[in-house]
Amino acid sequence: MFQQILAAVIAVVVALAVCFAYFWGTNWVLDKLLTPRPGMSDDALTRRDTLRSQIRPWLFIGPALLFLTVYLIYPVFETLRLSFFDKYGTKFVGVSNYVWALTDETFWRSALNNAGWLLIVPAFSTAMGLIIATLADRLWWGNIAKSLIFAPMAISFVGASIIWKFIYTYKGPGIEQIGVLNAVVTGLGFPPQAWITVPYLNSLLLMIILIWIQTGFAMVILSAALRGIPEETLEAARIDGANEFRMFFDIMIPQIWGTIIVVWTTITITVLKVFDIVYAMTNGEFQTQVLANLMYRWMFISGDFGRGSTIAVIIMLAVLPVMVWNIRRVRSELGTA
Amino acid sequence: MKLRHLLLATAAVAGMYAGSAYAAADLFPVGQDARFSWKSLEDFKAAHPGLAGQKLTIWDAWSSEGDKSQWEAVLSYFKDATGIDAQDNSSKNYEEQARIDLQAGSPSDITILPQPGLLADFAKQGYLTDLGADTTKWLGDNYAAGASWAALGQFEGKDGAVHQYGFPYKQEFKSLVWYSPDNFKEKGYTVPKTMEELLALTDKIVADGGTPWCIGIESGGATGWTATDWIEDIMLRTQPPDVYDGWVKNTVKFNDPRVIAALDIFGSIVKDDKKVAGGTKAVATTAFGDSPKGLFTVPPQCYLHRQASFIASFFPEGSVSGQDYDFFYMPPYASHPELGNPVLGAGNIATITKDSPAARAFIDFLKTPIANEIWMAQTNSSFLSALKSVNTAAYSSDALRKQGEILLNATTFRFDGSDLMPGPIGAGAFWTGMTDFVNGKSSKDVADQIQSAWDKL
Repeated sequence: MFQQILAAVIAVVVALAVCFAYFWGTNWVLDKLLTPRPGMSDDALTRRDTLRSQIRPWLFIGPALLFLTVYLIYPVFETLRLSFFDKYGTKFVGVSNYVWALTDETFWRSALNNAGWLLIVPAFSTAMGLIIATLADRLWWGNIAKSLIFAPMAISFVGASIIWKFIYTYKGPGIEQIGVLNAVVTGLGFPPQAWITVPYLNSLLLMIILIWIQTGFAMVILSAALRGIPEETLEAARIDGANEFRMFFDIMIPQIWGTIIVVWTTITITVLKVFDIVYAMTNGEFQTQVLANLMYRWMFISGDFGRGSTIAVIIMLAVLPVMVWNIRRVRSELGTA
Repeated sequence: MKLRHLLLATAAVAGMYAGSAYAAADLFPVGQDARFSWKSLEDFKAAHPGLAGQKLTIWDAWSSEGDKSQWEAVLSYFKDATGIDAQDNSSKNYEEQARIDLQAGSPSDITILPQPGLLADFAKQGYLTDLGADTTKWLGDNYAAGASWAALGQFEGKDGAVHQYGFPYKQEFKSLVWYSPDNFKEKGYTVPKTMEELLALTDKIVADGGTPWCIGIESGGATGWTATDWIEDIMLRTQPPDVYDGWVKNTVKFNDPRVIAALDIFGSIVKDDKKVAGGTKAVATTAFGDSPKGLFTVPPQCYLHRQASFIASFFPEGSVSGQDYDFFYMPPYASHPELGNPVLGAGNIATITKDSPAARAFIDFLKTPIANEIWMAQTNSSFLSALKSVNTAAYSSDALRKQGEILLNATTFRFDGSDLMPGPIGAGAFWTGMTDFVNGKSSKDVADQIQSAWDKL
C-alpha cells in the first residue's frame, strides 16, 4: 500500500518535471539557436523572427500531437485494417465481417437498443436539466437542490449502476424485498417484479440511470446560459404582458437554443459510447445489448479481433456526423468559424 | 537528501514484503507431518539446482481471498525448494487479461486457466510452449483416467499438429447435489440413488408444500453458466459420451433432438414456479453464490442445490459439513444403465507462455504429490486431485476426501462442455441462450439460436 502511494507520488512528480523540462528546454534551445546576432542585416533578423514564431507552436503542441497519433489516430487505422481481417488479424477476409454484422440478429438488436438510448436519454436529460435550471432559480433552496442533482455527475457509471442495482433488485414472492422499487410495489399490494429481465422495460430502466447522471450536467450548463439572457428582453416581454409559459418558450428558449443543441449533442456522444451501465447491470442479457458492449464481448471475451473491430468501426461511423456537427456548433457559437 | 530517504524507505518496505511472502511455508513445517509426501519435495529440490534468484511470473484464475492465499502457500514451498522468485497474479477478469497480455507481447511466464477452449485458441496462435510427449505419457501413467486428462491439455498448434501444451492441476467436481441432512431427516426424505428418484423427490417436496430447488444463474458478465452445467450433466446421463464429445465439437448440432431433450428436462424443473425458490423469475436475477443460502434458512426456502464442489465456500460462515450440509453425487438414470457413473468436472490447466528453465521447473513441481497435498490439506480448500500418488489422508475434510475418491475411481469423466466449446459459443451464445431459456424462450428456439451463432463462426 505504502509502496504504491509512494510510486504514484514519484510518478506524478517525475511526469510534471519532465513536462516542464520539455517546454522550458525546447523554448530555451529555440531562442538560443535563433537569437539575433549583432551585425545581422534587417532582412535576416526578420526572417529569424518569423522562423521562430513559426516553429514555436509546433514545439508546444508537439507532445499532444504525438500522443494523439499514438493513442488515437494510429488505433483508428489499425481498427479499420483489423475489421477486414480474420479473428486473429492475420488473414484478409474482405468485407465478410461487415456482412456478418449486417446479418447478425444480436447486432441489430444492439443497434436498435442504441437507437432507443439515442432518442430517449439526450432528450430527457436536456429537458429535465432545462426545467430544473429554470425552476431552481426561483427557490431559496434552489442551490441546494441543484447541488444534489449535480452530485451523480461525480459518480462513475459503474458506481451508479451498483446503486441502481439495489433499487431494481428482485427477490421471490414471500421473501423480504431488499430492492427499493420492489419494496414500494409490494407495499402497495402488488406482486414483486424481476424488473431487469423484462425486455424493453429493462432498457428503459437502464436509461434512467444515465438520465439520472446526465441531468446534472445539462442543468449546470443551461443554468449558466439562462443567466446570460439579457434582462431587457425579459422585461420587455413582461411589459408586453407575456405569461410565464410564453416567456419560457418564446423568449428564453430561442436565446439559449445554441447551448441546448451543444448539451444535446454532447450527451448524444456519451450515449453512443454507453457501455459501463449495460456491462454492470445486465451485461447485455435480457435483450438489453448495446453496440459498445457487443464490441467488448467479441473483442475480449471471444477474442475475435475482426468482428470486434468491425463493430468499433460501425460505432465510429455513427458517432462521426454527430461529432462533426457538435464541433461546428461550438465553433459558430464561439465565432471561430 | 530527501530522495535518499524515500529510497531507503522503499527498500525497507520491499524487504519486509519479500520476508512475509516466504513465511507462508511454515504452514506445514517441512518433514513433520506423515500425511505429506515430503520425499517428493526433497527429490524435486535435488533435481532442480542452480535456479536461485530467477524470476517467474504466474497468471491464474485464483483471485478470490481463499483460493489466493491457499495457492500462495503452495507456491511458497516451490520458492523455498528452488530459490526462484515466483510472483502470483490474478484478477476477476483473468481470461480477458490473459488474452490482452499475450496479444501485447508481455505474457506471464506461466498461465493457468480453467478454460481449455481459450487455451486452444492461444495454442493456435503459437503462444504456448510444447511440454513434450513425455508429459503426455506421464499424465497417462499417473493421473486417474489419465488419457482423458492429458487430452484436455492437447491442442493444435500454429504448425497444425497437436501437442501437449497444458498440464492439468487442481480438479473440480461438478456433478454434486447439495442438501441439508437435518431438513431431509425432518421430512423423512432419503438421498436418491437414481435420476428417476431425484425427479420423484422433486415432485414429493412440491406435494408436501415445500420448494425443492434453489437455482441462481446470475454471475455478472458470465450470467447463464450455472444453467450450462445442468445441461452438460443431463447430457452425460441421457447420451453416450461420444454424443457429448460430438455436441461439444458441433458434429452433433446444438438443435439436435437429443440436446433439446436435455434442455427440456432442465426446463421441467427451472420453468416450474413451484419447483424453484422464488419462482422462475428469480433464477435469472439471483447470483449463483447467493442461491444456495436458501438451504440454510428456517424454514428452508429449498431442499436441493446442484453445484460444483467449490460452492461450499459460499455457504454461511460456521456451517459444518456433514451436519448443516452434505452432498450426493448427481445420480444416473436407472433407465440408462449402459452409461455407468458419468462425472462432469472442470479444472485448471497450466501452460508455459514464456519458456525458461524456471518455468520448466514449475511444471515439474506440479507433478509432485506435495504440490497437491499442501493445497488439499488447507482448511476450507476445494482442491481435488486426480494424481494417483497423492495421499488422500491429506484432504482437510471427509467431504473433500469423498469427492477426491470419486474422482480417482471415475469411469467416464467429461470436462465442462461450455469451457471446451469455442469462446463465442461456450462463453457467449450458450450463456445468453440459457438465460433466455430461463426467461421464457422455448427449448427449440434457444437451441436454434445457439446453433445459428455456431454456424456463423
